[in-house]
Amino acid sequence: MKIIRRGILAGLTAVALGGVSFATVPAYAEGTVTVSVPQDPASWDPIDTFLVAWAAVATNIYDGLTYRGPDMEIVPGLAESWEELDDGKRIRFKLRQNVKFHNGEEFNAEAVKFTFDRLLGDEGAKGPQRSNYTSIESVEIIDPFTVDFKLNAPDPVLLTKLAGYGAMIVPPKYVQEQGEAFNLNPVGTGAFKFVSYNPKVDIKLEANPDYWGGAPKISELNYRFISEPSTAVAELQAGRIDIVVPPTIPIAMIPVIEGASNLEVVSVPGPTVDALRFNTRDGITTDLKVRQAIIMSVDRATIVEAILAGQASEIVSFQSALSFGHDPELQGLPYDPEGAKKLLAEAGIPQGAPLQIDIRSNDASMNEVAQVIVSYLQAVGLNPTIKPYETSTLISDIIPQGKTGAMFQQKWGGWTFDYDNTAYAMYHTGEQWNPYGNDPELDRLLESQRPLTDRNEREKVLKEIGKYVADQALELPLYNTNAIYGVSKRVKNFVAAPDNRLKLNEITVE
Amino acid sequence: MRRSPLRGRIVATYLFKRILQAIFVVIVITLFVSYAVRLTGDPAVMMFAGGGGSMSEADLERVRAALGTDKPFYLQYFEFLKGLVTFDLGRSFAGGAPVSGLIAAAAPSTLKLAFVSMLVSIVMSIPLGIWAAVSRGKAADQMIRIFSLVGVSFPNFWLATMLVLLFSIALGLLPPSGMGSFESYIMPTLTMGIILTATNVRLVRTAMLETLQSQYVMVARAKGLSESKVLYKHALRNCAIPLITYFGLQFGGMLGGLVVIEKVFSWPGLGTLAFDAVNARDYPVLQAVITVLALLIVAVNLIVDIAYGLVDPRIRLE
Repeated sequence: MKIIRRGILAGLTAVALGGVSFATVPAYAEGTVTVSVPQDPASWDPIDTFLVAWAAVATNIYDGLTYRGPDMEIVPGLAESWEELDDGKRIRFKLRQNVKFHNGEEFNAEAVKFTFDRLLGDEGAKGPQRSNYTSIESVEIIDPFTVDFKLNAPDPVLLTKLAGYGAMIVPPKYVQEQGEAFNLNPVGTGAFKFVSYNPKVDIKLEANPDYWGGAPKISELNYRFISEPSTAVAELQAGRIDIVVPPTIPIAMIPVIEGASNLEVVSVPGPTVDALRFNTRDGITTDLKVRQAIIMSVDRATIVEAILAGQASEIVSFQSALSFGHDPELQGLPYDPEGAKKLLAEAGIPQGAPLQIDIRSNDASMNEVAQVIVSYLQAVGLNPTIKPYETSTLISDIIPQGKTGAMFQQKWGGWTFDYDNTAYAMYHTGEQWNPYGNDPELDRLLESQRPLTDRNEREKVLKEIGKYVADQALELPLYNTNAIYGVSKRVKNFVAAPDNRLKLNEITVE
Repeated sequence: MRRSPLRGRIVATYLFKRILQAIFVVIVITLFVSYAVRLTGDPAVMMFAGGGGSMSEADLERVRAALGTDKPFYLQYFEFLKGLVTFDLGRSFAGGAPVSGLIAAAAPSTLKLAFVSMLVSIVMSIPLGIWAAVSRGKAADQMIRIFSLVGVSFPNFWLATMLVLLFSIALGLLPPSGMGSFESYIMPTLTMGIILTATNVRLVRTAMLETLQSQYVMVARAKGLSESKVLYKHALRNCAIPLITYFGLQFGGMLGGLVVIEKVFSWPGLGTLAFDAVNARDYPVLQAVITVLALLIVAVNLIVDIAYGLVDPRIRLE
């Protein structure tokens, strides 16, 4: 709603400005914008990281062949157009001409090939990004501005993946000259050029006046790394920071920002979803009836309304409503404590049966939500306990090693907004996020949709997967949280990006 | 003082002992930390954990091989020790920056913060402690005691947040975070300084009370010396030994507290470096930070020993 209001306001402002002083608005304006991001990714090389903090900054330095804007549509980036050949096993890209990297190197087919050879070669093998692009067999140069991506198998999510992270196009000569130093001195084709990087402190960018998408409307763009939410908000209040990028601001701090006349909260549905997944290998949660009973005992609508202040929406399968494969028709189990009690009795679960819930200790919202879930479960006669873990321990040891309690928190970013990306990692046998499940039927479904190039058909299978998981009650789906931005009112034309990848070439400042 | 060969030998033995002690401390601490941190997670998984997608065992093995975490622990630890000797601490798991560069950038920030905080605390606690001792049982003493009690009870992050609310948000005088201008030092060092002062003031008061009852203070007063001369020249110097010992010990404890202060004030020091390294399971950086902190504490102990000698000639390397 805020977005819409902003949009209208911006539109009105534009009309007003257009009427009064159309000719005097320069294409390239002065102005510095400072943004806080919650983490220092430590390397600016696209193939090194999966951190949202990296993407929040690097979207302004690099371009991919495709681009996904705040509206989630895939549009041309450095590729002007593309077509699928050989039943989807080859994609031909026509590249944008007269584009230069910030160091003066020309962008062409050579650069595209170099980028992907590097990602899929020895250099990429050291990092996490490569595993996203393994459907690419090779990149072939057809002419200086045409490339073919030869695929092992059709990859319906590839165009999305080309807009993200590891697929950002890098300058061949520069990268070869710099070697490891490229990590700290990034060069791309993006709207802003790299100026300086001070580890754990900040990264500074300046406008690229020759940007192919039009010169940015601000001259300097600085990012500060601030992990502590109250510090980021204090800087925002003090006017030293203009935009706080999520995930920084906790729901509890929203009133503070809303209370300041020079600030506002802009919140959009994001990709992040939370669920409490079940241990289907040991204990009482191996029983389908118990899992269903637990789902039925929790009133998620009340949790979203009361604890998350409406900054989230209920989910039925483990994806946001923006995700490809989301099924609005899918009905979850209703909130029905009486039914739950009956199911537990049928399953022969005694009153006061213990149940451990593992959560991330630094997740303020989940700490509150878990307390509420405990009381819901107590109401149906279970005796749950919460076990908070240090986040890194939970996600890199307890979950992958299968050492969780009966239920464990799973938080998931799902930046591709494609259910395949999430579901495959969560439910396919042998995946690290799936320590307990090995269901051949589910594996078959997951594998069957991957080569489908027909969007409708693939969406059908993805919906089927969502239904299958809900029927099997593999998790207690909770909610999809909003991406919450804190923005100073001196920033105009701000459009919040659901995936935190905020491209800032269109904003202006007073 | 006449310098004798004997004295030279004593100094050499002393330094040798100190160096052995430092090596021992570094090995014990880093061995413990390196081993323990490897029990609670996997840096390869952390790399994927940003929310990437599929993460198979093959992917993880590829990344582990690149990081070197596929090797047995004793080999990894040996590599680290070798790195200490050859001054090549390797590269950070997160981003591949040379660890020595990260340490070189972060250590001065922490040291500045630590020493200025210490200074703030000394400047505040000595006069206040003496004042409390002199006016024992009177209003001033009671006020200082209440201040001390309140100060000890403050959690450091809470005090920091309150200072930010007052000076940055309400008054707009100081920057809420970051390291840079002179102003940026005020709140972090004040936070640390106030909390240290709260305990130090009691210590100064007690030490001073004892000294004030001794005969030489009576003599000094009887001679007709001014009160400030009696207090600051005669009495203070005689209660300096316990104070120095305590300030020295406190330094180690303070480095722990600085992790929180650095985080609240986005201060790019060793605490921030260690905090991020723990989160990312960035072993090379974590091991290096721990080593530097251990060496710092050994160095401070050395300084304390030397300071004893300066304050009290009777205990010069006997």
